[in-house]
Parts: sequence; structure tokens; C-alpha cells
Amino acid sequence: MMDRKWFSRWTTALVLGVLLLQASPVWAQAGTVLGRQTLGRAYWHVFAAYAIVWLLVLGWLISIVRRLRRVEERLGTE
Amino acid sequence: MNQKQIRWAIGVLGALGVATVLVLHGMVFFWVPTESTMGIVQRIFYIHVPAWWIAFLAFGLVALCSAVYLWLGDERLDRAAVAAAEAGMIFTTIGLLTGPLWGRVAWGTWWEWEPRLTLALILWFIYLGYFLVRRSTVNPEQGKRFAAVVGIIGVLDIPLIHVSVTWLRSLHPQAVILSAENPMNLDGSMGATISVGLLAFTLVFASLFLARYAVGGYEHELDLRDASPGSIQGAEA
Repeated sequence: MMDRKWFSRWTTALVLGVLLLQASPVWAQAGTVLGRQTLGRAYWHVFAAYAIVWLLVLGWLISIVRRLRRVEERLGTE
Repeated sequence: MNQKQIRWAIGVLGALGVATVLVLHGMVFFWVPTESTMGIVQRIFYIHVPAWWIAFLAFGLVALCSAVYLWLGDERLDRAAVAAAEAGMIFTTIGLLTGPLWGRVAWGTWWEWEPRLTLALILWFIYLGYFLVRRSTVNPEQGKRFAAVVGIIGVLDIPLIHVSVTWLRSLHPQAVILSAENPMNLDGSMGATISVGLLAFTLVFASLFLARYAVGGYEHELDLRDASPGSIQGAEA
């Protein structure tokens, strides 16, 4: 079985990395008027949308891992 | 598929899914141009559309597995339907939450009771009902059959959601990917980004669906072992 501490550490690091990536400016369009729209409500809505996606997916992943842990505990007691 | 093959598939699909998600974020935030009328908020499109794609795929799977479960009575199909329904709920929730974040900036309102949004919300409630019906009966087998019926009826909402923007007066933007007249009506880089988004979400869904299905299988085996008389003696022997 995969080391759980290792797994949770790397999953957390990956999610934080993705969230930080979203917080960076949109470099590809830095020169245009819309490209400078990196602050304000629209920007935070994009950030929130991407954060919601990965937090919900992470939540589902955690629920699956917890169910697997319960199965392992039941196996351990038999 | 045996357990070893399922574990291998979960690992490969999961690794490919994470890699594709990272590529998607790189494309969305560093490569694809900003849409000219909506600005940066249009970037929500690259996760909103794939989320709905997965929601529809998952609910299609629920209906298919439920129909065959009612016909053959194979427990594995019920477990697959439950795994798909969980995924469907997660990705429908994502679609319902990311849409208003776009709508607040584009329309000036979080929510409108217009046909597509209303039908999408109804879909979420139908599948909430799927889980409630499963747990509402004293006899679990009866609950599974009732839920299978809900799963089959619920999927009928999906074509209605799809055609609602063309058949009814709707605020929601027209279809750009599955448009009948002009499919994939997008700039090249935007088309490439949404394609990577669809692939990333599909890989993530496939790995988590298999993982959930496998865990359901282990739980079922343990329940059977616990229920069978003399199981403890058998385990100790």
C-alpha cells in the first residue's frame, strides 16, 4: 500500500501549487487592455472557479481514500 | 478486470490526469489569448464546459449501468452506477458553481431562472434523489432498484439541457462545441485549450471512478464475509 503521509503531502503540495499558479498574472496577454485585467472582481472569479474545481475533486479523492482506510481497518481486525 | 489491473489502470490514468491538468493550467494562464468581449472571466469556460461534459458522461453511465442492473441483477453494475453518480454529483456541483461566477461578471447576476440553468439545477436534485432513494428503504435491494429507476429517468433531463438554448428563449450562450451548424466554432488556440480541458477532466474522472468502484467492491466483499455464518472461524482457520 502507498504511504499515506507521502500521498497526502504530495497531494496538498500539488493543489497548493496549482492554486499559486492561478494567482500569477496572465503573462500571455500582458500588453492588451483586457490582458491588464488581472485584478478586480473578474480575476477573483476566475481564481475562485478554478479553486472550487480542484477542492471538490480533492474532497472526493479524500472521501475515497477514507473509505479505503476503513476497509483496511476492517481487514486488519479479522 | 481483476484487482491488480484496476490498480494499474487507476495509477496510469491518475498520473496522466494530473499531468494533463498541469498542461491545462499552463495553457489557460500563460498561453491562450483573452477573449475580446468578456475578458479574463471567459477563462472559466475551460473548466466549466469539461465539468458539464463529465457530469453528462457520468449520468449517462448511471443510466446505462442502472438499466443493465435492473435487467441482469449484477451487483457490479450497481456499484459502477453509484461510483458514476458520485462523480456526476461532484461535477454537476462544479458546473453549477462555476457558471454563476462567470454570470456575475458577464450578466451582472449570479443566477437567472432561465431554461438551461433551471434544468441543470433540476438534474442536480434528481441525482440527489438517487442517493436519498437508495437509503430510504428498509430492504437495501429494493433501494438499489428504486435508485436505478431514478437514474434512468434522470438522464432524460440531459438532452433537454442541451437543446434548451436553441428551442427555448435562453440567456445562456449558444453551444460552440456541439453546435449542429458550426461545431467547434472557436479560435484555434481556444479550441486546443478546451480539448486539453476535456481530456484532463476525462482522465481525472476515469481514475477516480475506477478507484471508487474498486473500494465499493472491497466493501461488498467484506459485507458478504461478515454476513456469511462461520466467517470468523473461517478467517481464523
